[in-house]
Amino acid sequence: MIKLTNVSKSFQTKNGVVEAVKNVNIHVKAGEIHGVIGYSGAGKSTLIRCVNLLENPSEGNVYIDGEETTHLPLKDLRHTRQNIGMIFQGFNLLKTATVYDNIMIPLRLSGLRKSEAEKRVRKYIEIVGLAGREDSYPSQLSGGQKQRVAIARALSQEPSVLLSDEATSALDPETTDSILDLLLKINEELGITILLITHEMNVVQKICDHVYVMEDGEIIEQGPTIDLFTKPENPTTQMFLNTISQRKISDELLAELTDAGTVIRLTFVGSATGEPLLASITEKFSARPNILSANIIELKNGIVGNIVVHLDGNRSKNTDVLQYLQQEGVLVEELSHIQ
Amino acid sequence: MKEFLSEFNSKWAPVIGEAIIETFQMTFISLFFSIIIGVSLGVLLVLTRPNFLFSNKIVYFILNIFVNIVRSIPFIILLFFILPFTKSIAGTVIGVKGVIVPLVVYTSPYIARLIETALLEVDQGVVEAYTAMGIKRRSIIWNVLLREARPSIILGLTIATVSLIGATAMAGLVGAGGLGDLAYRYGHIQYEVDVMYATVIILIVLVQGIQMIGNFFAARLKRDS
Repeated sequence: MIKLTNVSKSFQTKNGVVEAVKNVNIHVKAGEIHGVIGYSGAGKSTLIRCVNLLENPSEGNVYIDGEETTHLPLKDLRHTRQNIGMIFQGFNLLKTATVYDNIMIPLRLSGLRKSEAEKRVRKYIEIVGLAGREDSYPSQLSGGQKQRVAIARALSQEPSVLLSDEATSALDPETTDSILDLLLKINEELGITILLITHEMNVVQKICDHVYVMEDGEIIEQGPTIDLFTKPENPTTQMFLNTISQRKISDELLAELTDAGTVIRLTFVGSATGEPLLASITEKFSARPNILSANIIELKNGIVGNIVVHLDGNRSKNTDVLQYLQQEGVLVEELSHIQ
Repeated sequence: MKEFLSEFNSKWAPVIGEAIIETFQMTFISLFFSIIIGVSLGVLLVLTRPNFLFSNKIVYFILNIFVNIVRSIPFIILLFFILPFTKSIAGTVIGVKGVIVPLVVYTSPYIARLIETALLEVDQGVVEAYTAMGIKRRSIIWNVLLREARPSIILGLTIATVSLIGATAMAGLVGAGGLGDLAYRYGHIQYEVDVMYATVIILIVLVQGIQMIGNFFAARLKRDS
């Protein structure tokens, strides 16, 4: 549905050429939700603007629904853009128009008949849960409500793709959750393909099927969300994961918590989460696991559990334990071994 | 007091009445043309800026310089400086007809700057959102830029109208009459202090009234607080 091949974008500035996006490939299939995560300045905003050609890529191709769009004449580009909804961090509503008019005006401007437009406005105000607020002005609404208006405005064009540019970044955690639920709902019920950019890991965790980690204009790691949460390879990805589950345990803390022995992290995915594996290693190897930390992360497509365990005893015995755990489908990572 | 008023009325009412009508004529005819020219110029000044809807360095540069040049000339100098131009457009350089052209030339660039400022206040994010929805740039100008800027535009036009009334006071120099001319000829030259006072009071009421109307409509359209 959305396909970017080798997309690059550079800007000429006073201090020379800045390459905001470097050779990025993204492929979002119809009905999926993909997320690009990165720190500010990573080039995410420029990247998502290349999808609907608000920025013209310097190199590479953009395909929407199979059609190459970077060379479309303005008239056809406008038509393609009507098929791509977009929501923003700053909502971007008309301050001088009511909720109703904020959705109505663009519909009328894109040539819809009044009666048809009115029907759509009612329908999408209902879907985003703002029925009764039609006559309010944006200044009378909360951040979450404003974003709902923006979502209704985008949906009312009945696009097959929705781009979200940090749509929840200006919202508090609770409101963020409710907006994410709404995005999931429209993805499931209306089948809209979503590409979002964010710097918040919980956004990815909650709604994304696939994640791209972006740094300095490049995609440095990508994969299904569950893979990134279980086997993050890049240090930046690991840092992002740290924001929702503490993966890194400082050396001082380790030294304080443990005597001699091995500290390991066990990552459980899917079926492995159901087995009482720690109990069985005690039975089989008479090992004495001491749990230092544990957490569980609920992803859109699965559950990931993490346990950091201290095993006392000598290394060779512990190696047997680790092998056994790996056979049982647990991801094992040795954090430190103290002699 | 009553006696004084009735005597003043019978002596001066026709003259003052005529002067008010002349001032109104000059103000509103010039305002009409200045708004058409000034708003267009102002919109162009914003649209042709770098990174705006119709970015065009050359057009922006020329417009910007042109507006600055005209804005640098005080009305009293402009009035005489463009006499040949006035003659070619209006066919005359005297009377109300002769003063409309210089008033429009004087006020349009001023309105252009006020409109420019008002439009620059509009959140560019909304323009981006509408562009992303595939809406024509022409529609964006009307339905986003000018619509969102309405409160500031009205306040700007109010300021321009008041300054235009000020400029019409100098129209007496080319025989266009008006309140300024009245105050100068009768109040100053003939030393009729009452006429001077009357003129000043009428101007205060006029300006106060225009400002109140402007504020009222701007407040009605403003919705962000």
